[in-house]
Amino acid sequence: MEDLATIAIEAALKVGASFADVRIENTSTTIIEINDGVSKQSMASRLKGAGIRAFIEGAWAFAQTTDLTPAGMRSTGESVAKMALATREKVAERFEIDGPTFQDRFEYKVKKPFRSISIDEKMSLVKMIDDQSRDFDKRIVSTRSIYGDMHTELYIANSLGTNVYVENSIPRIISAPTVKDGANRQRIVKSLGLRGGYEVMDADEAQNIGNAAAELVIELLSSVAAKGGSYDVVMDPILNGVMIHEAFGHATEADNWPSHTTVLEDKVGKEVGPEYLSITDDPTMDGKRGSYEYDWEGTKTKKRTLVKDGILTELLHTLETSSRLDMEPNGAARSQSFMHAPLSRMSNTFMEPGDWDLDELVQDTKNGILLCSFNYGYTRPSVGQFMFQASHGYIIENGEKGQMVRDVSLAGNILEILSKVDAIGNDFKLDAGSCGKGGQTVPTMSGGPHARILDVPIGGM
Amino acid sequence: MNDSLLEIGEKAIKLAEKMGSEQAEVYVAQSRAYEIEAENNAIKGASEQIDAGIGIRTVIGKKIGFAYVTTLDASDIEEAITNSLNLAKASFEDPDFVTLPSSVGSYQKAKNIFNKEVDELSSEEAALLLIRTIDATKEKLEGKDYAISAAIQSSSSSSAIVNSLGIAMAEARTSISLYAYPVIKEGEDQTASYEYQISRALNDIDPEYIGTKAAELALGFLRPQTIEGGEMPVIFAPLGASTILGSGFAGAVNAEEVQMGRSYIADAFGENIASEALEIIDDGTIPGGLGTRTFDAEGYRSQRTPVIESGVLKNLLHNSYTSNKDKVDNTGNAARPSYSGLPRISTSNFIVTPGKGTLDDFIAEMDKGIVCRNTGDRPNMTTGELSAMVMEGYYVENGEIQHPLKNTLIGINMRDLLQRVSQVGSDSRKTFSMVTPSFVIESANVTSG
Repeated sequence: MEDLATIAIEAALKVGASFADVRIENTSTTIIEINDGVSKQSMASRLKGAGIRAFIEGAWAFAQTTDLTPAGMRSTGESVAKMALATREKVAERFEIDGPTFQDRFEYKVKKPFRSISIDEKMSLVKMIDDQSRDFDKRIVSTRSIYGDMHTELYIANSLGTNVYVENSIPRIISAPTVKDGANRQRIVKSLGLRGGYEVMDADEAQNIGNAAAELVIELLSSVAAKGGSYDVVMDPILNGVMIHEAFGHATEADNWPSHTTVLEDKVGKEVGPEYLSITDDPTMDGKRGSYEYDWEGTKTKKRTLVKDGILTELLHTLETSSRLDMEPNGAARSQSFMHAPLSRMSNTFMEPGDWDLDELVQDTKNGILLCSFNYGYTRPSVGQFMFQASHGYIIENGEKGQMVRDVSLAGNILEILSKVDAIGNDFKLDAGSCGKGGQTVPTMSGGPHARILDVPIGGM
Repeated sequence: MNDSLLEIGEKAIKLAEKMGSEQAEVYVAQSRAYEIEAENNAIKGASEQIDAGIGIRTVIGKKIGFAYVTTLDASDIEEAITNSLNLAKASFEDPDFVTLPSSVGSYQKAKNIFNKEVDELSSEEAALLLIRTIDATKEKLEGKDYAISAAIQSSSSSSAIVNSLGIAMAEARTSISLYAYPVIKEGEDQTASYEYQISRALNDIDPEYIGTKAAELALGFLRPQTIEGGEMPVIFAPLGASTILGSGFAGAVNAEEVQMGRSYIADAFGENIASEALEIIDDGTIPGGLGTRTFDAEGYRSQRTPVIESGVLKNLLHNSYTSNKDKVDNTGNAARPSYSGLPRISTSNFIVTPGKGTLDDFIAEMDKGIVCRNTGDRPNMTTGELSAMVMEGYYVENGEIQHPLKNTLIGINMRDLLQRVSQVGSDSRKTFSMVTPSFVIESANVTSG
């Protein structure tokens, strides 16, 4: 792979590029989906190809090829450099790309590699989970259970001298039952996703995910739609993570600075929240779905302290943004696959724990709502607006957890929301997610402790 | 190119049958996409994606496997067939599976879905269109503190579907889209908006319109305010309408979701589910439509399918599996993400029949209510409950826009929303997911704060 990368880089430089990089990927995935006891999707894929970028004086070009021969790599290297040269006349800002170089080979060791497990065994696991949720209660009318695994081998090289080989391995299991009682129909999605081999599926949480989803969806039968209005909201760790990810994390992606598309543009080194609030993005955590050693530009990654004691201290960088903003690179460039150019992205993002007990937090909330888990969320960092939806929750009246509610939406403003966080719990949990940006999806985790936000608008029916 | 794709497909089918597949289907596709991006008012980069791959569905009895690979090399195709067959063998039988589709009746050849100008668009011409867009935006924002992001994307693709029951279809398509996204700063206030066009043909794209409109919209969203909530009428402009109906309703008439009991209209077939004002048709045959095709993602012929007529739910959208299961006609709505997935169900061109009036007319007629230009939200597909953030919208009183909105949510059940449509406009536009005008609903629960 090293030879092929060198051929492409040299071809690009010869045409006139000042910087070039190459990602050569070989990824295998398996997806097994069972609905109501029958196979719905039994799928295998192989992604094999190279993505090549060339750069000159502020102009980028990107192309991909699946022709992994010396001739194919040379011709793609040349054509991408020509594209960059043609673009150069039209760019407004001139800058150069620089950064530290790395040479390494990282083999990710797991106890049970996916390829060592038979399809039959994976199939039986999904069947077991599917049966589990259906057998839980006869009101469960439809079950959907999905297993997915993805193993990636990635080689990254650039013209500065970086050449890095990395591996990754991420499994996921999902249970999504639907329950019906008279005209009342409810559904829920529960998932577990970590970094590791098939051994992740041996853990109790994975083995019982069908039961856990079924239990929750039955409970949802007694839920009501929330009444709209402003509430004091206690978020569970999963929803807190979604809030941190949507309402803040995206706005710290450093590619927003050159494009002037974040409301945090003038806030670096300034206060963005209360002094007891810190937010971290950490790809170095062991066994987490958003973890990796080197990013997709080959930069060694590290823990990023986005907010320290209420101050915005660090951003998520690619080589371009660290070069242009003259800040320290921290390895946050990620791509969905070789078919995409790297963007600055989050990894495992969370609020640092505080000192409140969960019980105290609920008791201290006079009239509010405890919101749990999530359906989805999105944000527009350029306007500062975000929205996310809890899958369920409980009304809090006089410090006591009461009526269950479902699908609770919460909207707000990035610059206002953190200052409304008034109490942070002492617990901690991360939840698996997939984050979309610019048409690319990457595996992430987000979470934190329970935390309370005061006076936020919640949508009602 | 179509002939060579068909040839690869035929060869793969023969090999799959030789290796033990009782029925087999191949989806093979090749595409070239070109994109130029601009940030902070200037061009920044270009990218070219040349993609080719193959997906193979194999059937043994009532067991189905699928595998795909991102190359068209013979050895990779053979590995994919092996994987697909192994997965089929290990699968649990689906008693409702009957057969892959066969070629039935005559196909209506799709018109105006391949545009030579898009196919041959040079990088210089594309860059020029993008610069014209940015210039138009700049002109409208003169004197303001702004940063414009924009991009143009064109693509030309061919796909072929071959199966062991005699289907062998191939078709080429183009598409082009262009957007402008200006961010404006004014004191402590920062806002943004966007406009775009998407089409199969180059001459439908109007860079000056996109640039000017994006700038006007962004200016209109400065200094947003919250309002006092409550029950009030809501006007959905075409983009908002397209999210609410194109995803929030289209997903509910997907026959697979209905069969699984996961759709909020599960028990409503043939019933009155909407106001008389609302008529929705799925039509895969209109000339030049973004969803127009001679055949669907399983090679089955495209057709025109009424979904809501006079308020009554007339048809669900089917592929071969769901139509065989329900013993009804296939509507030709199989859809897949190119070669990299199994056929599911999606709309072709999902069209709201135009009525009378425009967005401006509806605002002028409104006593007190809000306009939702856009939202990113979808309902709970099982209960129909929708809680949508007004991503861009206005507060209206006495027939006039008073101010833009912030932190505002609309709450309503989709079943009520469909029944409360009081007016449907004539200002239809193409969006990424449908063709729709503005429409008005009598009332929804609005929360703001």
